Amino acid sequence: MKYESQGIAKMYFIAAIGLFLGQILFGVVMGMQYVVGDFLFPEIPFNVARMVHTNLLIVWLLFGFMGSAYYLVPEEAERELFAPWLAKLMFWIFLVAGALTILGYLLVPYAKLAELTMNDLLPTMGREFLEQPTITKIGIVIVALAFLFNIGMTILTGRKTVINLVLLTGLAGLAVFFLFSFYNPDNIVLDKYFWWFVVHLWVEGVWELIMASMLAYVLIKVTGVDREVIEKWLYVIIAMALISGLLGTGHHFFWIGTPDYWQWIGSIFSALEPIPFFMMTLFAFNVVNKRRLDHPNKPAVLWALGTAVMAFLGAGVWGFLHTLAPVNFYTHGTQITAAHGHMAFYGAYVMVVLTMISYAMPIMRGKKAANQTAQVIEMWSFWLMTVSMVFITLFLTGAGILQVYLQRYAETPEPFMVVQDKIALFYWLREAAGLVFLSGLFLYIYSFFAKGPEVEVVEG
Amino acid sequence: MKNDELQQKQASHAALASLLNLTLFPGISFIVLLLLYKKTLPGSFDRYYVVLGIKTNVWAAIALFLVSGLMIIFGGFYSPWTWVYVLSYFMFVHSMFILFATWALTRCWAGGRLKTTVLSK
Repeated sequence: MKYESQGIAKMYFIAAIGLFLGQILFGVVMGMQYVVGDFLFPEIPFNVARMVHTNLLIVWLLFGFMGSAYYLVPEEAERELFAPWLAKLMFWIFLVAGALTILGYLLVPYAKLAELTMNDLLPTMGREFLEQPTITKIGIVIVALAFLFNIGMTILTGRKTVINLVLLTGLAGLAVFFLFSFYNPDNIVLDKYFWWFVVHLWVEGVWELIMASMLAYVLIKVTGVDREVIEKWLYVIIAMALISGLLGTGHHFFWIGTPDYWQWIGSIFSALEPIPFFMMTLFAFNVVNKRRLDHPNKPAVLWALGTAVMAFLGAGVWGFLHTLAPVNFYTHGTQITAAHGHMAFYGAYVMVVLTMISYAMPIMRGKKAANQTAQVIEMWSFWLMTVSMVFITLFLTGAGILQVYLQRYAETPEPFMVVQDKIALFYWLREAAGLVFLSGLFLYIYSFFAKGPEVEVVEG
Repeated sequence: MKNDELQQKQASHAALASLLNLTLFPGISFIVLLLLYKKTLPGSFDRYYVVLGIKTNVWAAIALFLVSGLMIIFGGFYSPWTWVYVLSYFMFVHSMFILFATWALTRCWAGGRLKTTVLSK
């Protein structure tokens, strides 16, 4: 580790992994509730499990992004973090606020939680993914601003590289677009319209910048390929991500009461959205093939390549599957969306955070790479989680195709719940794959504690 | 030296044509591959990528169209289960071929051949 303040990332990564485990546990509970409706009811109702599953995902990824930024920015900027104490303070504020919010979801009825947190003063609750009490949202803004200040000052007073500037742009966008969560108009069309400014412009806009910069950083480190080559790729990828992703928001405006022209704009621009993900695959494959060194941290290389491949499949291919308006007319809000959501989030964002953790964690623990046993276990966890996610996606895709056919395409469409019964087999299979994913995650966590022979590090 | 550069260039064109045949320009790109075959010599670096591209795309055509066609014939056009299998299968296998062609393209750019696989033998 070149700079002492990079070590702050460790606490963020540990919190991220802990919350990741929580997210998957609730996912498995919810998967069971799809087929055994009263499983753990009334202790954990389905709507609460879903809220915890999705909110934990967002929170742990934010922890992962922040940890990654605290690790890579000092090294890129060639200076210590501007205010390490602020990073530590914000960690505890964010962790306590996040934990209290999740406990609130689990222990208090949602309406009561809204009342307790004085939602009526500035109503922002009750919307998918943005269920957090207003006070938590204000906390997120404070943490995000403090984080941006810290990272921004480090970059602005240090060396400016393409990687840290792209990262800063992405993180600034993340903070700015979250502000739309405070706009909660009575008109449901306007509400949905601006709700997507947070949800879509995060995951199909600015988060792609964060992802690309993190991936580029790790690839420079593990392949030894010239920074100039990687930076050129990065420029093109982020340009394509923004060109396609910003107006690609239109694919969410097809059926919410907005004008018809969104069907054209949304279809055309979102059909371009696989391009940046495909370019990331091409970029990762290219630099790995042209690598100048064999880095001893094999799992980090595996995670980096896996990120590029799975992001292309989940966000690119499975996104394209249902993004054109004539197709989306039949598929919107079905299990096809769930299939895309699972693989895209895992491939693009979960994996890139795990790539960073895999690369940085051994260094923060005083080694260039984890011991051989730990590496083997980590690579097993990679395959278990990745292959089971492919199966989760395929099972949900099968469920979605059947659902679309029976519920929306057949000459005599069947009611929602009747169709749900008919696709239960897929939900059972998805649950089984989910359990394999969970076992992969346990193995991943265990890899940090595994002891074994150290790897040989050839200095070059 | 000049010859090496020409081979590298033609090999890149072949690897790219293989990828394009699987994605944006099916058919036309395959014709390009066949034309490139005539321009290359046996055993050369560029011939290797032309042959790899042709093999990849022939196997892709069999795996995607023949197998999907058989699924539709045996499963029945109006059965929803047929479409569950066909669509999931087609998307996944098509993506795998695209990823394989992308890997081949980057290997070619790096000036190397693929390690032995069924397709590259």
